[in-house]
Amino acid sequence: MKSVQFSVTSRLAGDAAVIYPKGYLNSLSGESLVNECGIYIGKGITKIVVNFSETGLINSIGISLLLQIIEDLRNIEGTICCTNMSKFLQDTFEMLGLIQHMQVFPGESDALKYLNAKTV
Amino acid sequence: MSAELKKALYNISALADLGQEITSVNAFHQKIQAVLYVITGTFLANKGAILFYDKSENRLNTLTQKGFPPADLDRVNPETLMSLGKNRPCLIGDHPGLAIAGAEILAPLWVRDEFIGALILSGKLTASPYSPEELELLNVIANQIAITISNHALFMDLSDKLEENRKLYEEMRLIYHGTLQAFAAAIDAKDAHTKNHSHRVAKYSAAIARELGWSEHDIEGIYVAGYLHDVGKLAISNELLNKVTPFTPEELAEIKKHSTLSHSITSKIKFPWKNVEDMVWHHHERLDGHGYPDALTQDALSDGVRILTLADSFDAMTTQRPYRKKMDVQTALGELRKCLNSQFDNHIMLVFCRVLDKEIKGDLPAPEILPHLDRASDLSVISSMLEGIIAELSRS
Repeated sequence: MKSVQFSVTSRLAGDAAVIYPKGYLNSLSGESLVNECGIYIGKGITKIVVNFSETGLINSIGISLLLQIIEDLRNIEGTICCTNMSKFLQDTFEMLGLIQHMQVFPGESDALKYLNAKTV
Repeated sequence: MSAELKKALYNISALADLGQEITSVNAFHQKIQAVLYVITGTFLANKGAILFYDKSENRLNTLTQKGFPPADLDRVNPETLMSLGKNRPCLIGDHPGLAIAGAEILAPLWVRDEFIGALILSGKLTASPYSPEELELLNVIANQIAITISNHALFMDLSDKLEENRKLYEEMRLIYHGTLQAFAAAIDAKDAHTKNHSHRVAKYSAAIARELGWSEHDIEGIYVAGYLHDVGKLAISNELLNKVTPFTPEELAEIKKHSTLSHSITSKIKFPWKNVEDMVWHHHERLDGHGYPDALTQDALSDGVRILTLADSFDAMTTQRPYRKKMDVQTALGELRKCLNSQFDNHIMLVFCRVLDKEIKGDLPAPEILPHLDRASDLSVISSMLEGIIAELSRS
């Protein structure tokens, strides 16, 4: 099976950044996810939503990259929300205990609502 | 599925990730960085580092790291690490020699009895301690990393040695050629009328061989033969070599000894090129069997001998000699043409004409014959003559 080249797009939704990783998060190319989040953090954004609808699989390298984002946001007292996760992703995050360091929502709009309410 | 089983499966898959990264075709730095990511992702460690022990400097260099203060890593003392167990992870705690902010666990890397470096990890994101199973897994991982780094270091060491040898060989080659040139200058200096003759014959021969498609190694061989073909003249008296009046039969016989003398001298040298002695020995042979010293005929004459013979004769004709004036290039070409089949080889002549024509037309980036020809030569006349000879010989 031909693997999809990992890529990242993003958009700003109010005072939150929504990040869309695409492909298997399993190699150094996943650093683009950390970099994308870093750009928003550098601009003062403290709320990040990662929409995993196009990333069904992750391995230890991907976990390490996600750790980096959690750590970066923790340093600025920010929030990371993960949405649209496959069962595999959700199970893996739960098993590792990562789930306690992020907010999990079924859809992107749920996460944005939560973050919006947090501001108010 | 129980949580323990899920964790065990995750760890197995992390080991598979490690194997995949270690055996990937990526550059070493990328590989080791990915390996560190696999480890930090496996243990949920925010920070991690892989250090390499530089034996010659007796210090640890950071191969890759994330999160630790670089100055703390620079201060790690290799002797402190060597005193710890081989590849066995241990808690850093308040160890006095290991003050790395945020570091919690360390595995010294060893391959057999050789200290390779260290793997250092911070505590976990979850703040839970490393379990005995995780320490066991870290031990397996440490063994794998140690072997990977050791193999890379060996490879780099071999590459350095190879490069060193290559440079040494190149230097020796230059010295060798310098010596040959000095030797050739000594030969040519014996005869006031043959200054640089050996150098030109070497150049012309190499140009023909290159046009014939010879390998660089073989071209170098004929180049050396060109330099040494008259080395036997060192044993002939200066008086005789510089004689202006015609030679007596005895004197001619003495002069003719030079190719055999050249062979005697060169046969004592173990050349890395084949047939140098043969080319030197027989550069005065002819296709019709009227040459010397052995009156060999066609089948016994190698391409190398045929090339050297033509190059030697062409240069002899186009330079001043005590007993005759030098010929212009057209006349010399005419002489060579007249002696085809009897003295010179048709095909070698064709190739010689082709290469000279290309040089005149500027088709060759580094001409080897043209720079040595009489500057007063009319190149357009020579070129049209060459075209005629090429057409004629191509038909036959």
